[in-house]
Amino acid sequence: MAEIEWPWQYSFPPFFTIQPHAETKARQLQAWRTLVLNFHKVSKQSLLDVREAHQNSLFSNSSIDRKLPVEGILLVLEDLQKTGNAEPLDKTRNRWLIYWHTLEEWAALIYSWAQASGSLNSVCTFFELVSGDDTTDQEFYGLDQEVLSRALQVLESQKKAEIISFDDNQGVKFF
Amino acid sequence: MGAIFGKQKVKSRVTEQDRAILQLKQQRDKLKLYQKRIQSTLDKDTEIARTLLRDGKKDRARLILRKKKYQEQLLSTADSQLENLEKLTHDLEFAVIETQVIDGLRIGNEALKKANAVFSIDEIEQIMDETREGVEKQKEIDEMISGALSDQDEEDVLAELDSIIKEQTKQAEPAATEDEDMEELPDVPSEDPEERAAAKKKEKVSRHKEKVAVEA
Repeated sequence: MAEIEWPWQYSFPPFFTIQPHAETKARQLQAWRTLVLNFHKVSKQSLLDVREAHQNSLFSNSSIDRKLPVEGILLVLEDLQKTGNAEPLDKTRNRWLIYWHTLEEWAALIYSWAQASGSLNSVCTFFELVSGDDTTDQEFYGLDQEVLSRALQVLESQKKAEIISFDDNQGVKFF
Repeated sequence: MGAIFGKQKVKSRVTEQDRAILQLKQQRDKLKLYQKRIQSTLDKDTEIARTLLRDGKKDRARLILRKKKYQEQLLSTADSQLENLEKLTHDLEFAVIETQVIDGLRIGNEALKKANAVFSIDEIEQIMDETREGVEKQKEIDEMISGALSDQDEEDVLAELDSIIKEQTKQAEPAATEDEDMEELPDVPSEDPEERAAAKKKEKVSRHKEKVAVEA
């Protein structure tokens, strides 16, 4: 796991308390958004479980002994959801998918790779896309299967791809 | 999903071949995963054998190495199978492309036939005739509108033009002689009037001669 460069706010104790003043709060949320997305981008993780968030160095800084409360985490996540950068996986809003690229961006990235590699009109497996030998230098290499599948659904709705799944086979055909 | 929720008019663009290719590729992925797994156990086994040797357990180390050898064989078998799979996948993909090429050729051929059917020889002749007629008619209309002249008129015009040119050249010459006449006014008589009268008589006689001479 690559090391993330923490912003200065991360060692600033008030950062871990949601600020009452509206303007300050907006700026605080903005900083949290950037931090959360950056953290997941660097660690290439797409899943976030709010219940386990405090074991995560993202929301708790042990060196200054501060933790962002669960309400704060949810606030940040809901803010991310508004811009399409996060999505809850269940109704209890405990497990979240974090998109450091929005699904549309992922879809565009994948499609442009497919165009560049001449994979249009041919079939690719999901495995091939995120763990294959041809995509190691792509940003979506190692991407979460769920996120990949959702990004491909975006492409499907744009009629640029069609997801094939039968038995335990999962693949996509680009057009 | 498309089959369940999609409307019927949305036809899946995934063909049977695509599904077959997908299955082949999936198999290939599984083999690759398997290779990864074997590779990692191989690495682990080497490590274990080393530690066993260091501890002086030579027999166990040999066992481990034998297992490792066996797995290496598996790995190479997997490699050859992988090659087969890839080959088959490529063959299949190429066959699909070939059918597409043939389809393209067929469509092109049909289009060409259709295009040729439209232009039968008779029709072309007819079209050419009609075009010619059209051009002639257009010419006539042009003449009418711009008051163009018939051949006869055209000749008349040329004749008139010629005559004007001739007149102009003629006019230019006489003008020159007239100028000379103006300069040659009769001189004031230098002899006596009597002598002149006598001379006149002579002149009158010779006048006719002179005129002829001048005219000639």
